Amino acid sequence: MSAERKLPWVVKYRPRKIDEVVNQEEAKKLFLTWIDSWIRGKPEKKAALLYGPPGSGKTSLVEAVAQEKGLELIEMNASDYRRSTDIEKIAKTTARIGSLLGVKRKIILLDEVDGISATADKGALDSILDLIEGTQHPVVLVANDPWDPKLRDLRESCLMIEFRRLTKTDVKKVLRDICAKEKLTCEDDAIDFIAERAEGDLRSAINDLEAVGEGFGKVTATLAKSLLRARDRELNAFDVVRRILIAKYAWQAREASNQTDLAPDELILWIHENIPKQAQDPEDLWRAYESLSRADIYFSRIVRTGSWDLLVYAVDMMTAGVALSIRNPQYKFKWVKYSFPERIRLLSKTREARQIREDLAKLLASHLKCSISLAKSDAIPFLKVIFDSNPEYAARLALGLNLSDSMIKYLSEKNGDKIVTLTEKLRQELRKMVSAQKGGSQTAVRQKRTVEAERKKDEKSSKGLEGFFKK
Amino acid sequence: MGAQSALAELLWAEKYRPRSLQEMVNQEDVVRRLQVFVKERNMPHLLFAGPPGTGKTTAAHALAHDLYGEDYRMYMLELNASDERGIDVIRTKVKEFARSKLPVNVPFKVVLLDEADNMTADAQQALRRLMEMYVDVTRFILIANYPSKIIEPIQSRCAVFRFTAIKKEDVVSRLKWICDHEKVSYDDKGLEAIFDVSGGDMRRAINILQAAAALGEVNVSNVYKVVGLATPAEVRALLKSTLFEGDFTKARDVLRKLMVTYGLSGVDLVKQLHREVFSSEFAIPEEMRVEIADYLGEIQFRLVEGADDEIQLSALLAKLVLLGRNLRQATAQPSKPSKR
Repeated sequence: MSAERKLPWVVKYRPRKIDEVVNQEEAKKLFLTWIDSWIRGKPEKKAALLYGPPGSGKTSLVEAVAQEKGLELIEMNASDYRRSTDIEKIAKTTARIGSLLGVKRKIILLDEVDGISATADKGALDSILDLIEGTQHPVVLVANDPWDPKLRDLRESCLMIEFRRLTKTDVKKVLRDICAKEKLTCEDDAIDFIAERAEGDLRSAINDLEAVGEGFGKVTATLAKSLLRARDRELNAFDVVRRILIAKYAWQAREASNQTDLAPDELILWIHENIPKQAQDPEDLWRAYESLSRADIYFSRIVRTGSWDLLVYAVDMMTAGVALSIRNPQYKFKWVKYSFPERIRLLSKTREARQIREDLAKLLASHLKCSISLAKSDAIPFLKVIFDSNPEYAARLALGLNLSDSMIKYLSEKNGDKIVTLTEKLRQELRKMVSAQKGGSQTAVRQKRTVEAERKKDEKSSKGLEGFFKK
Repeated sequence: MGAQSALAELLWAEKYRPRSLQEMVNQEDVVRRLQVFVKERNMPHLLFAGPPGTGKTTAAHALAHDLYGEDYRMYMLELNASDERGIDVIRTKVKEFARSKLPVNVPFKVVLLDEADNMTADAQQALRRLMEMYVDVTRFILIANYPSKIIEPIQSRCAVFRFTAIKKEDVVSRLKWICDHEKVSYDDKGLEAIFDVSGGDMRRAINILQAAAALGEVNVSNVYKVVGLATPAEVRALLKSTLFEGDFTKARDVLRKLMVTYGLSGVDLVKQLHREVFSSEFAIPEEMRVEIADYLGEIQFRLVEGADDEIQLSALLAKLVLLGRNLRQATAQPSKPSKR
């Protein structure tokens, strides 16, 4: 009895049955259908990713389902699978036991997958993917923010099940039930206050209730308010963007931007990405982009002048300015699915190609004695034409300009490999010719020498300057 | 030339760049005055102003070459202000070089600042001080497309040389000369076409010439083929999907492709769009062409001021979607009253 008392309320009052999971009817239905398809042996996807705001019942549902369907739950938390070997071990053991005992099904639950660091936990994500591929048991992943770019591959191999933020009424009902079971007197105002603060996070509401109720034996509004500091919740990016885009008043939009830890220059990309989804009317779209571009101009002024005081205006324009631009009621409040900023994804995907282009432009700029940007706009496009249409000539240029293989391939997707081979042949020929000519044709040797001398001279002079500057 | 050149090739814009002043065939007035500096082994600070591809950078290098000989780069610091435009570069690199001791047998060192009109105002102020302080050992050559973007006090410290657009017959005869050297077959119409599409920019003209030659022969059809290939078809798709299809999201995807895959900058894109807007290929009212051009100018200004390429161009796409919608409504309307 006393041992039970010490259980935190969130554990003590965890739903034991599927029905006890508050609300989330849609998610329940999806999840149950999926589990049933596993039990019948033919799942369309081998894994499900449950996502939604904290405290909305994701883990609870999995636990309740496991209990009701008599499945063994193998649970892992983010801290357990920092290394790929941990996950591989799990995968192996479950697979083996599963085949030995034959009958009893399991659910493999990986909680907090968005907590995996893409860099520090290198390999962990890949081994989760392997796990999903080879599993003989349903794999359930849980995340608050599934739109993290590092989770992209996971998203593709999972059935996505969204959990909605619980309403205040949902939360209040659960709190009242707990008060009744704990035989606590509680004021309606206090319950209201706690539920309001929780913003749909049932777990934090129960924790708050416990903090007030256990210590004092009663829950009054005054106690609740004095005890509980405002729990500033970080809204996830989608929520913030939605609040901004559908805001009716300037203050709503501005306030929403305070509730995220996205930096303003990230937030603007999120808004940029999703404006067309809410602003489907061309007038709205144009107005919204005029505002966003004003915000962007303020950013450029901040960069140029260093006066961060201007940041508030940038934020005003990208939040309130955009929100009030979207007016057509037909689309303004329509629920649309938002997307992760494509730009961020593209930039990381194309980093290598952009680096090659940058190096190439630098090389050409030094040959042509022009700026790097001019090399990009005036030299590279024409080189591409040559490389796409005349591989033999392209190879001679590649040799003369001393282009790397990756630069050659960048200049022509079509002929890249061929030109690389041709260039290599030319290079060998040149070498042969030079050694053959050592005693032979004087002019050719001199030619070669002057070319080399010039290059050396170039190197020397640039080195000379560098050395000079280092001093 | 020797066997080496049968194997390796350079960009013709580099290969046929005049190395010394006397090799320069254009800008006779400028060249004559510069040759006087060489003869006297003395010169003031210089500002070369004029449109792109008229020989400013070439003249600066040729001048240094004639002053110091083959190893002229040892006595010259070259910077491109587009690539290094901040005040830090002026305070560190340029200052260090400008105040360093004068090598023997050299009357002064040269700092060459190309595209100097891209320097920030702060950097220009810092530069002005350096020009005063170290004038006894260092001379500056500034190169700019738009000399008005160079602050007054610097302009007044420089001898200004205006480079004029190169005449059509001069460009064509230079291209001919290169063709003869390279043993490339050409016809006059083709060379004239190159002049037309390059807007008198010699560097661009030579780049186009080399690409057209790589296609086999320099004729009109190959010249336009080169220009067409070098202008991604997606630029036209941008106008089509916004103005006629009203599909913003699709257009924005194309925009991203152009910027990421082709590496076009926002300003490049604005310029290419500007060319397309006036093409007869697009059936839009004449006044709309002007309205779009005006908005393109506004966007380019914002970009030059440092705004974000993708956001500003998206704003442009949004504007085009709106214009396209209005256009469709306007053409749909006349039928309504007749029904009544």
